[in-house]
Amino acid sequence: MRVKKSFKLALNILMHSKLRSWLTIIGIVIGIAAVVSIVSISEGAKASLEERLGSLGADVITVNPGFSRASGAAGGFHGIRDLGERSAQTSSKKNLTSKDVITLRSTPNVKFVMGEISGRADLAYSSKKSSANIKGIDSPIWKEITTEKLKSGRLLMQGDSYSVVIGGNLASKVFEKGIPLNSKVDIAGKLFKVVGVLEEGSTVYMPINIARETLGNTGNNFNSISLKIADVSLSDETVADITKKLTASRGILKETDQDFTVSSPKAMQETMQQTLGLMSLFLGAIAAISLIVGAIGIANTMFTSVLEKTKEIGIMKAIGGKNRDILIIFLANSGLIGLVGGIGGVILGVFGSGLISYYGSAMSSGGMGGGGIGRMFSSTAITPTLLIFALTFSLIIGMVAGVIPAYRASKLKPVDALRYE
Amino acid sequence: MKSESLIRIIDVWKKYDMGGADPLVVLKGINLDIKKGEFIAITGPSGSGKSTMVNIVGALDKPSWGNVFLKEENVSGMSESSLSFLRGKTIGFIFQQFNLLPTLSALQNVMLPMEMLDVPEKAARERAEELLASLGLGDRMYHKPNELSGGQQQRVAIARALANDPEVILADEPTGNLDSTTGKFVMDFLGKMNAQGKTVILITHDLELVKYSKRVVHIKDGRIIKEAINKKIM
Repeated sequence: MRVKKSFKLALNILMHSKLRSWLTIIGIVIGIAAVVSIVSISEGAKASLEERLGSLGADVITVNPGFSRASGAAGGFHGIRDLGERSAQTSSKKNLTSKDVITLRSTPNVKFVMGEISGRADLAYSSKKSSANIKGIDSPIWKEITTEKLKSGRLLMQGDSYSVVIGGNLASKVFEKGIPLNSKVDIAGKLFKVVGVLEEGSTVYMPINIARETLGNTGNNFNSISLKIADVSLSDETVADITKKLTASRGILKETDQDFTVSSPKAMQETMQQTLGLMSLFLGAIAAISLIVGAIGIANTMFTSVLEKTKEIGIMKAIGGKNRDILIIFLANSGLIGLVGGIGGVILGVFGSGLISYYGSAMSSGGMGGGGIGRMFSSTAITPTLLIFALTFSLIIGMVAGVIPAYRASKLKPVDALRYE
Repeated sequence: MKSESLIRIIDVWKKYDMGGADPLVVLKGINLDIKKGEFIAITGPSGSGKSTMVNIVGALDKPSWGNVFLKEENVSGMSESSLSFLRGKTIGFIFQQFNLLPTLSALQNVMLPMEMLDVPEKAARERAEELLASLGLGDRMYHKPNELSGGQQQRVAIARALANDPEVILADEPTGNLDSTTGKFVMDFLGKMNAQGKTVILITHDLELVKYSKRVVHIKDGRIIKEAINKKIM
C-alpha cells in the first residue's frame, strides 16, 4: 500500500477516534504549550536582561549596604534599576555615607562617584494618585553616569530644586491621560515640575537634597553608590580596589564582617544568566515531565486502539494488507495524535506567552505591583525555529510512543485478529 | 482435458497447543484438490474443523504439518507479507459478519483491497464504482456500513471480494446473517461468478445452499468423511 494511503487511513482512524484519543491529545497540547511558553519566556527574559544590562552601562559599578556573597545577584532578578531598594533587604547592613563617597573618589580607574537615596512616595497628578519609586541623585554627576534615554525635556541640572525627571512608563501608563512635560506633580505633599520624561521606567528622579526632604531621610546616608569607571577591561581590579578601600575606611577587620556589596555589571550578568538558566532548566523539566506523561498517554491510547481495531487489522490483512502497511498506519496514527496535540500546543503556547507578556508589561509599569517579576515576563520571544521544533518534537513523541503498539498490531496473525470480538 | 489445480491441500494437520493439556488436533490429514473454475461446498457440523479449513484454504493460517499449494506456490513456507500479497491478489473473502471497515464508506471499503496492491486511486475508484453499481448499490456508495442494511453490507462485501478480480472467492457462511431473499441473491451472484470462470469455495452448514455447488466435501472431526459430485447441478 502506498504511504499516502496509509496516512489517509491513519487520519481516518484519528477522525473517528473516541473521546479517549482527544483527551490524550489534550495532554500533548498542555505539554507543548508549556514548552513553547517556557522557552519563549526564557528567550524573552534573556533578551530583556541583556538589554537592561546594556542600558545600565558596562562601566558602572554599584556599591550597596549589606553583604551578599553572590554579588550582583542578591535577591534575584529585580531589574537593575531597583538595586538601591534591593540592598535595603540584605542582612548585616550598615548605611553607606558621604565619607564612603569621598573615599571612593580616589580609587584608580574611577571617573565619577555618586551617592543615591531611594524610597517610595505618593505621587498625585490630575486627581489620580499612585505610589512611585523616588530616587535622589547628584544632578551633575547623574548626567555623566546614567544611560537612561530622554523621550522629551532634559535631565536634571545643577541648580534644579523642585524639578523631577520621570520614567516613561509612569508618565504614560500609570497615569492614563499621561503626565506631560512642564506639568506640576504632587509628591508627598510637595509640588514638583516635570522637566524631563525618560523613554521607559517608572522611577522619579530628583535632586538628592530635595529627595531627603521628600522621603524624610535627613542624615547623610546613601542607599547606594554608583561609580563610573574609565576602563571596562579593568572592571574586576576596580571592584577589588573599591572593596579594599571601603574595608579599610569602614574599619572592617575580618572578611566575614564586610557590610557592603560591590556589584559590577559583568558579575551581575553572569549571576543573572546563571539564575535565568537554572530557572529555565527547572521550568523546562516540569514541561518535559508533562510531555513524558503525554507520551505515555499516547502509548496507552495506541495500545487500546490496537486492541479495539484487532478485527479491522485482521480484515485488512485478509484483503491484502501487509505487516508494513499496518505498521505505517498505526505509526502514522500515533504521530498524528502527537502532531495534532503539537499544533494545539503551539496555538495555546503562543496565546499563553502573549498573555504572560501582557500581564508582565502591566506589572512592570507599576499598575499591578511586582515590577521586577513583571519586567522579566514583559517580553517573550516566539521564533519560527521554536514553532518548527515544537511541531517536530510533538510528531516524534507521538511516533515514538506508538512504535510498540504499531509493531504489535503489524505482527498480529490474520486468523487470530479476525476471530477477535 | 484435465482441469488445472488451483489449491492443493496435501496431508494437512492442524493442532493447537492447550498449555499443559493435550494439544487439540483440529484437522487430521486433510487432502483436497480444488480445480480452477470449481464451485465447491465444504460442509460439516459445528466443531468439525470447517473454520480451520477456511483459514488454511484462504492462506490466513498455516498448517502444523503438511503442505498447501496455492497456484503451485507452497504457502507453508511463505512470509506473512508474501502471503498477504498472494491473498489480496488471488482470494476474495466473503464473511458471514460482512467484516467491512466501519469508518470507511462503501466505496472506500471496495477500493481498499486494490489500494493494498498499489492500484492507482483513479483506477481503483472507477472499478469500485462499477462493482457497486453492478450490485445495485450505485446510490449507496458514500454510505458507511452502519447506514446500510445487512443485505446491502453483504453486497458491499461481495464487491470488495471481487475488487482485485481474484481467481478464488471464498465465502464463509455468506448467507448466515441474511434473510432468504437476500441470501438467494448472494448465492445466485456466486453462481454467476462461477459461470464466469471464478473458483468458488463455499463453507456452510446449511445443506440448502449445497445445491449451488458442483462438488461437496463433508468434514467431521477434522477428517473428510465424504466427497461427492453434486449430481443435481451436474
